[in-house]
Amino acid sequence: MLRVTDLTKTFGGLKALGGVSLHIPEKRVLGLLGMNGSGKTTLLNCINGLYEPTGGDIQLQGKSLLGLPTHKIAGRGVGRTFQVPKLFPRMTLLENLAAPFTTGHASDAEVYERSAEWLNRVELYRLRHNYAEELSGGQQKLVELARMMVAQPRLVLLDEPFAGVNPSLALLIIRLIEAMPERDGCSVLLVSHDLTSVYQLSHNIVVLHEGRVLAEGGAAEIRSNPDVIEAYLGA
Amino acid sequence: MTADLLLQGLINGLILGLIYSLIGLSLNIIFGVLRVVNFAHGEFIILGAYAAYFLQRLLGLSPFLAMPVIFVMFALIGWALYFVLVKRLTRSDDPETASLLVMFGLSITLGALMLFFFEADARSLDYMLEPPFLMFGNIVIPTTRLVALAITLVITGITAWFLYRTFPGKALRAVIMNRSAVATVGIDVEKLSAMTFGIGLGFAGVTGVLLAMIFPAFSPFAGADYTLIGFIIIVLGGLGHPIGALVGGLLFGVTEQVTVVLADNSVALLVGFALMIAVIFFRPSGLFGRQQMR
Repeated sequence: MLRVTDLTKTFGGLKALGGVSLHIPEKRVLGLLGMNGSGKTTLLNCINGLYEPTGGDIQLQGKSLLGLPTHKIAGRGVGRTFQVPKLFPRMTLLENLAAPFTTGHASDAEVYERSAEWLNRVELYRLRHNYAEELSGGQQKLVELARMMVAQPRLVLLDEPFAGVNPSLALLIIRLIEAMPERDGCSVLLVSHDLTSVYQLSHNIVVLHEGRVLAEGGAAEIRSNPDVIEAYLGA
Repeated sequence: MTADLLLQGLINGLILGLIYSLIGLSLNIIFGVLRVVNFAHGEFIILGAYAAYFLQRLLGLSPFLAMPVIFVMFALIGWALYFVLVKRLTRSDDPETASLLVMFGLSITLGALMLFFFEADARSLDYMLEPPFLMFGNIVIPTTRLVALAITLVITGITAWFLYRTFPGKALRAVIMNRSAVATVGIDVEKLSAMTFGIGLGFAGVTGVLLAMIFPAFSPFAGADYTLIGFIIIVLGGLGHPIGALVGGLLFGVTEQVTVVLADNSVALLVGFALMIAVIFFRPSGLFGRQQMR
């Protein structure tokens, strides 16, 4: 599905990513852990074309994404959410969810049907005519998640989906991510500082440290890895 | 008599204000989507007037028939100009300042070129509507202004429908609200930006024809005045807000025309500026401006 090979990204003299390699198979969740500044968001930005990598390769289903602009990468089926949701504040929730269809040929009825389905799944259908700016931060995260999923992506990049979200909304987000591989048929790259959720949701976990892969494995392996404990989790 | 004058000023103001709002609307769409301050907008308006003049002189095309032709012509020029000039500006670290300087240079260049090719003599469109005036009691309204008003209302209606009911229009509004998010949902910002600059210049061209229809003459020097009016309007309504431009245009038009009938023509722009300063003082982001819209 997604294969990142020896990816590097430098900003001036600063090496944000120093040869990162990882692989996400079809319908799998890969958790990405790391301290602040370890390169997690930079990696997501390289995958969805917001940053141009300095070196290495990124392949989605065997085809390189390098050099493609962000909208074309989105067109190849890569969805993305951000730590701070990037919604269209003076548009209704329905209009926000219709945004991915602006360049396609879907009918109004089809757009409404798919948008309504996802607003129901994030339990915000009752607010469908409200402006996005009227929602709480947690609700905005749900709308952004729904806007991404309504486009039926093959791979989703989730950047801190639980940050600043109250426990009940966080539980809903966990349920939605759990359903993504089987029900929605997509792979997930999950960046979060919420270790419990990452351990619970991920089939595999990669830990980044200072732009390099420090460890990779299942939740049990990562929890007991001495390098990870020293560098990230603390003694 | 004063009440009649006031009413006359009010009606003139609403008609002119709505036409002015087209200037603000196109400037605002361009600024909202591209962060480009089109300081040459007034010159494109005057070029629109000249285009109508020459289409009439050379092909015998009436100003009404010239309007769609000029819209398409200017939209294509805008689309091409985006790739030649504007695209580079949007990639600048500070697109607002860079575009202000470059577009100011373009404004001077276009003004000089018009002077060179068309000379300094004022021109006017040669056409007449029957009857030339309509009387409503003591209120006199030139038929041309009523026709221009009708055309402007149609253009405004189509624009509102485009922005709020069509997918490309919604995408355009989405870029205004959150430029960094649109590419992530699969929208081609580059294509949309070229379309926006094209539409903006298309509007400028049509506005030029409308203004040439209702004002007796135009010359290569008039562009700066319309740019100034456009900027007053978008500051009044709120930078980057399409509806704000409509309200700002009406407000400025009414203020200007009521001042003309009650005081003096020379005071009108002064009052317009005073209104702008008052709005900035109480609402720095304009009547409809919001930080999120920028």
